[in-house]
Amino acid sequence: MFGTQVRGVVEDDFNHRRRRTLWNTPAASMPTTTHTIRYSTPRKGHANAHQLLAKFEDLYGFMVEGNVDDVNVLNDVRERMREQGRVWWALEASKGANWYLQPRISSNGGSEGVISVTSLKLSVLTNTITLRRLIRKGVPPVLRPKVWLSVSGAAKKRSTVPETYYDELIRATEGKTTPATLQIDHDLPRTFPCHSWLNSEEGQASLRRVLVGYSFRDSEVGYCQGLNYVAALLLLVMKTEEDAFWMLAVLLENVLVNDCYTDNLSGCHVEQRVFKDLLAKKCPRIAAHLEAMGFDVSLVATEWFLCLFSKTLPSETTLRVWDVLFNEGAKVLFHVALAIFKMREDDLLRIQHIGDVIDILQTTAHHLYDPDELLTFAFDKIGSMTTNTITKERKKQETVVMAELDQRIRRLSSLKMDG
Amino acid sequence: MAHRVDNEYDYLFKIVLIGDSGVGKSNILSRFTRNEFCLESKSTIGVEFATRTLQIEGKTIKAQIWDTAGQERYRAITSAYYRGAVGALLVYDITKKQTFENIQRWLRELRDHADSNIVIMMVGNKSDLNHLRSVPEEDGQALAEKEGLSFLETSALEALNVEKAFQTILKDIHQIISKKALAAQEAAGSGPPTQGTTINVTDSAVNTKRGCCSS
Repeated sequence: MFGTQVRGVVEDDFNHRRRRTLWNTPAASMPTTTHTIRYSTPRKGHANAHQLLAKFEDLYGFMVEGNVDDVNVLNDVRERMREQGRVWWALEASKGANWYLQPRISSNGGSEGVISVTSLKLSVLTNTITLRRLIRKGVPPVLRPKVWLSVSGAAKKRSTVPETYYDELIRATEGKTTPATLQIDHDLPRTFPCHSWLNSEEGQASLRRVLVGYSFRDSEVGYCQGLNYVAALLLLVMKTEEDAFWMLAVLLENVLVNDCYTDNLSGCHVEQRVFKDLLAKKCPRIAAHLEAMGFDVSLVATEWFLCLFSKTLPSETTLRVWDVLFNEGAKVLFHVALAIFKMREDDLLRIQHIGDVIDILQTTAHHLYDPDELLTFAFDKIGSMTTNTITKERKKQETVVMAELDQRIRRLSSLKMDG
Repeated sequence: MAHRVDNEYDYLFKIVLIGDSGVGKSNILSRFTRNEFCLESKSTIGVEFATRTLQIEGKTIKAQIWDTAGQERYRAITSAYYRGAVGALLVYDITKKQTFENIQRWLRELRDHADSNIVIMMVGNKSDLNHLRSVPEEDGQALAEKEGLSFLETSALEALNVEKAFQTILKDIHQIISKKALAAQEAAGSGPPTQGTTINVTDSAVNTKRGCCSS
C-alpha cells in the first residue's frame, strides 16, 4: 500500500558488504509516481468505519495496524515529505550540492582576504540557522544518511580511524562467544519481527554484525537490550552496515548522556530523574497529579529513552525525532517525552489508576503518525530548554543516582548473606 | 472493606512477571490475558501490562499483569515496577539451566523491592520442549518447597497450566486478603487491634474499587 520494497543486491564478497545497499526504503521523497489510497470520511451512521483496523506497510516497511484515519494521516505525511524534499532540492540548486554537510564552513570563504572573514561568519550563521530550521521540518529519507553522518559527528569520528576499521573489527569478532553475543542472538528474531527485511536471514546477519561489532568496541556497554531496536532502525535508514555502526557509535559516545547503556544503566537513571524534574517544571499539573497517584515516570520513559522512541512511535515519526536528535543533541528526547504527556494533559488529569496512565501514554505514542503534530508540541508548546540547564540538572542527579545504586548493591549483598 | 461497590470488579490485583530474558514472560502474559501466543514477539524493554477480569471464589477479580525486560542490568530500574504488586510469577525456562540458577537472585530482588507479604509462584515455562529439558521438574519442586513458594510447570505455547498458575496465585492472594478483612472486622468489633497486628487491607498493595464518584 505504501510503495514496494526493493531488496539490495546480494553480494557475498565480504569486502563489499560494508558498502553495499542493504535495504531500499519505499522512497517517499523520490520523484516517483506512487499510488495513493485515500479513504473518504464516513458519513454519520457509518462512524464505525473509523474503528475498522487494517494491516498495512508504513513508510519504512513496517507492518502496522491502524484505522482509516491513520492511513489518511500517513498519506498526508508522505505528501508533506515530498514537498519538504522539493525545498531541500531547491536549496541545493541555490547554495550548491552538499551545502548542508559543512554548515560551519562557507563554500567560498577564505579566498578573498579580510572581507571574507565577515562574510564567512555570516554565511556560517545563516547556514546553521537554515539547516536547523530545515531539519526540524524533516530530512528527506534519501538524504538522511549523508545529513545524519555529518551533523551528528559520525563522519568525523570515522575519519579518525583507518578505513578498514569496521571490516577488521567484524573479522576479529567472528566465531567469538561472549555474554553479549548470546543475548544478541537471543534478541535478533525478536527485533521488529513485523519488518520483512529485518526478519530475513540477511537482515538479521547485518544487525548481528553491527551489534556484535559494537559490543567489542565498547566492552563496558557490551550489549544492552534496546540497542537492537536502535541499530535495526539505523540499518534501515543508513543503508550500509558501516554507516549504521558509526551512527550507533556516535550516539552512545557523543550524542547521549554517558553510561546510558552500561551495566547498571546509571546514565538512564539520571535521565529519568532529570525528566521527572522537567515534567514538574513544564507540566506542573500533570506532575502533581501523577505524584499523588504514585506514578513513576520511569514506567513509561525508560523504554522511550533507551530505544530512542523506536519501539514506541511510528517509524517516520521516530526518524523525524532522530533528525533533530542528531542535530541538536539529547535534550530533544526530553522535549519529545514532555510533549507526549502534554498532548494528553486533560485525559491524564482525569485518570485515577497507574495502569490507565501507562495505557493512555503508550496508545497515544503508538498512534502519532503525524510527526509535525508531535514536533510542534515538543518545540513550540514545551518551550525552550537549554543544554546548559539540563547539564547542570544531570550533575545534580548523578550524585543521587550513584548513591542509590551503591545502596542497592549493599542491600542485595546483605540479603545474600541472610539467605 | 471487601464488599462489592460497583459492577466492574471487587478487587484489582497487580501481579508482576519476573525472570531472565527469553524465558517466555511476555507470552505467558498474552496467553493468560488474550489467549494468544506469538512466536515472533518483540523483546520487552519498558513495562507492558494487560488485564483480565475473572471470578475467584465468588468475587470479581481484575488481574493486572505486568511484564518487563529480563536482562540483568534492567533490574536496578524496576522499583516502580514492583510497587503495589500483591503477586509475582517468577519464571524460568526448563531448557535453560542458567535461568533456573538465577531464581535465587530474582528472589533477592523481590525481597529488596516488593511488599514482604507478596505471594510468589515459581513457574518453569516451555514444558512443551521436554526433549530439550535441562531442569528436572523435581528440582523445581524442591527449590519451591525450600523457599516456600507454590510451583507449576507451564507451556505458554500449548496453553498448558498457564490458566492454572494464575488461578492458583489469584486464589492465594484472595484468601490472604479475605483473612485480613476478617481480622480487621474482628478487630474493629473488639476494640483497637492489639500491638503487633498489621492491618493493611487498604494500603497500596490492594486496590479496592471505591464508590462510583471516585473519579
